[in-house]
Amino acid sequence: MPEGMASQTMGRPASPGGPLAIDARSVEKRFGGTLALTGVSVCAEVGSINALVGENGAGKSTFLGVIAGRVVPTTGSVSIFGNPLAFGNPRLSRQQGIAAIYQELTIVPALSAVANVFLGQTVSRAGLLSERGMCDRFLELSAQLKVSIPPGIEARHLSVADQQMLEIMRGIQSRARLILFDEPTTALAPPERESLFAIMRELRRGGTTMVIVSHNLDEVLDIADSVTVFRDGEVAHAAPRSEWTKRDLVRAMIGHDLVEPSSRTPFAGKAGAAPLLSATGVSLPGALEGIDIEVRPGEIVGIGGLVGSGRSSLLRALSGFEPKSTGTLAIDGEAVPWPKTPRMAILAGIALVPEDRKTQGLVLGMSAMANITMPNFGGVASLGVISDRRMASSARGVARDFGFDENRVGTTVRNLSGGNQQKVLLGRWRYSLPKVLLVDEPTRGIDVGAKEEILVTLRRLAAQGLGIIVVSSELEEVVQMGDRVLVLSEGRAVARLDAAHAPIKVKDILEAAFKVAKHDHDRDGLSRG
Amino acid sequence: MTTTATASPEAKTTGQKIGALFLQYGMVWALILLVIVGSFVYPRLLTFINIRNFLGQSAPVGIVAVGMTFVMIGGGFDLSVGAIFALGAVVFASLADPLGLWVAGLVVFLAAAACGVVNGFIVTKLKVNPFVATLGTGSAFGGLAYIYSRSAPITPSDYAFQDLGTERWLGWPISVWIMVVVFLVGGFVLAKSVYGRSIYAIGGNNEAARLSGLRVDLLRGSTYVLSAMCSGLGGMILASRLAVGQADMGSTIALDAIAIVVIGGTSLLGGEGAIWRTAIGLLIIAILTNIFDSLAVSTNYQLVVKGTIVVAAVAWDVYARSLRT
Repeated sequence: MPEGMASQTMGRPASPGGPLAIDARSVEKRFGGTLALTGVSVCAEVGSINALVGENGAGKSTFLGVIAGRVVPTTGSVSIFGNPLAFGNPRLSRQQGIAAIYQELTIVPALSAVANVFLGQTVSRAGLLSERGMCDRFLELSAQLKVSIPPGIEARHLSVADQQMLEIMRGIQSRARLILFDEPTTALAPPERESLFAIMRELRRGGTTMVIVSHNLDEVLDIADSVTVFRDGEVAHAAPRSEWTKRDLVRAMIGHDLVEPSSRTPFAGKAGAAPLLSATGVSLPGALEGIDIEVRPGEIVGIGGLVGSGRSSLLRALSGFEPKSTGTLAIDGEAVPWPKTPRMAILAGIALVPEDRKTQGLVLGMSAMANITMPNFGGVASLGVISDRRMASSARGVARDFGFDENRVGTTVRNLSGGNQQKVLLGRWRYSLPKVLLVDEPTRGIDVGAKEEILVTLRRLAAQGLGIIVVSSELEEVVQMGDRVLVLSEGRAVARLDAAHAPIKVKDILEAAFKVAKHDHDRDGLSRG
Repeated sequence: MTTTATASPEAKTTGQKIGALFLQYGMVWALILLVIVGSFVYPRLLTFINIRNFLGQSAPVGIVAVGMTFVMIGGGFDLSVGAIFALGAVVFASLADPLGLWVAGLVVFLAAAACGVVNGFIVTKLKVNPFVATLGTGSAFGGLAYIYSRSAPITPSDYAFQDLGTERWLGWPISVWIMVVVFLVGGFVLAKSVYGRSIYAIGGNNEAARLSGLRVDLLRGSTYVLSAMCSGLGGMILASRLAVGQADMGSTIALDAIAIVVIGGTSLLGGEGAIWRTAIGLLIIAILTNIFDSLAVSTNYQLVVKGTIVVAAVAWDVYARSLRT
């Protein structure tokens, strides 16, 4: 619990003493027909860390966008350090001392690490770029964050976590007075999160004000001085950290008590069944080295490991997204050619639900029902002509199964919440059943209420006789879902845990994953688990 | 995308409904306004003979625009339509006498399809940006048209050669009938068929379509073949209309067809649009040209106006999108 931070004013406009770091009053934002923010008033004291939490679509990211100068509110006023904020002008906001670190990476792949950190605010002397000055500052920041990214490396060669680190360095290098973090830790492994929090605390000592949006409530309670809960575009409750418990936060976010997560549903399939999918020696240059994996009907196999361990690469290789990958594959005991394209994989019975819903999963401009029936439009057509009625009734069936309002199957996917979008994406493979479903980060960016539903949905799909492989950064989920867990580290399998033998624990996964990380330099001495 | 009934939970105010109607059907209102204003400026605008006249004139480019709509909804772009148009005109004119009209027409379709396959291959397999790819192939196909015709106009002696462009059926030119059929078939395929829906999917999100197991390269490539065949047909109709095949016939076709498609409101970014929108765009351009011609405005001024309208239409599309998201 941070001490000495009097931020009692959060949510209570007007305070005695100096100007507030943020004083937003009755901010309203309308997007087309929907109200994203309705009369939101938020205050933040200078030198405090303020967390914004809420379910998806509650308005917290929009509010952050208003402060960052990226979003122009429909009505309302915002003062920053006593001066009115210039709306919709990120450059002026920057000059007012505001820096924003966004959830979506804004890294330029072809520029060096240093150039990315100093993007738009190059250090110059007499009009000339001061490469030396920037490099020194870069190394200084690296040391603070305890990362070792070579300054000259092109950003495209860096992992997502390292790119996120660059993003954070960019935010703090300018010595801004107010720094906004939009879900900064989703891509980071625990040690990296820790060093980020350490630097946030140091910045706070120096008087910097920070606002952090996060879905991770433990994290919020760990770092923040005050917490504001958003619900349906309004401030549901704002109070200092000391007045919150995790349970209170969840209740404030969803408006009622969360049902305790059901204990792990046991493996639904037959114990000794022959594997549905059996892949051996899966390799991908620079990412995977000779991984063996099996899934039986009705079984969920979790993949554990840190960011960059090859979790996603393994799924992509199995689903035909990595033409350079190699290995042998058998489906239902019969050897099939190694998938070189997603179509080959799908014809073999393997489908992938990608990590990034919006750019890889959904056609945002199409209706939910068209997205659900996309793998097989022919199934709702006769002689090549689609029947909207049959498409809708197929989609309604899927929606009923997945707890998605069946009357909204005609809605354009762009207008659905993250949780519903994910249900549509998973529903696609309920409509067109594969043999094996690979799911990458099924609950990323999804609010607490919908998360549990998604997990139940996956279990229900498995009960249909599907084999499922799940990758998640939330190791609790891997543990909760997985009948077996395969732990990867640096592209190799380092442990295989089976819930049938002993309950799987998060600690086991982390230990297995870290053991290898410590012996990074002597690869030969390692054996596969 | 076809207009899906959105069962949105929150009731919208009348003002918002009108706003949404305006955004979605803005070009329909623009057309109505144009017709009203145009009738004052040029009283003969809505007479049967005038309508028959301007529809007949715009049939070739209208047919090209239908193919272009498929390409653009699929997320592509085709600048080579003018060259294929010209190739269609000269091949049709040169083969009409020796092979007969039907065989000549068949050869044009095959040649145009071959050009489309080349475009599709370069865009999907060699992964060249469609803008550059079709700019290049357009130059090459255009060159072939000149080489094939030895840069000279080709005038077939068979009078039947002119039927396609000038003969009438039930009071309307055959070319207009063909255009109407192309629009109806194209509109039906795009809005109702598995193929059409797949084109929307690849244009809206190629990765998502690929992950769903759609044959994205084949589908995208096929739009270029369709576009090329429409261009070949358009070229034949113009050659027939003018009783001559000439290699310089398609010089303004690409810009005109693109103008028609984007004015209708089909997005340059792919995944959104419709054939009925292209029909609206065609009527706007055709009526505008008709009014200018009646006022004896020089084609040079018309070029300036057309170019301005295209840019304005695209800017409007970008603005309307920004309001939605």
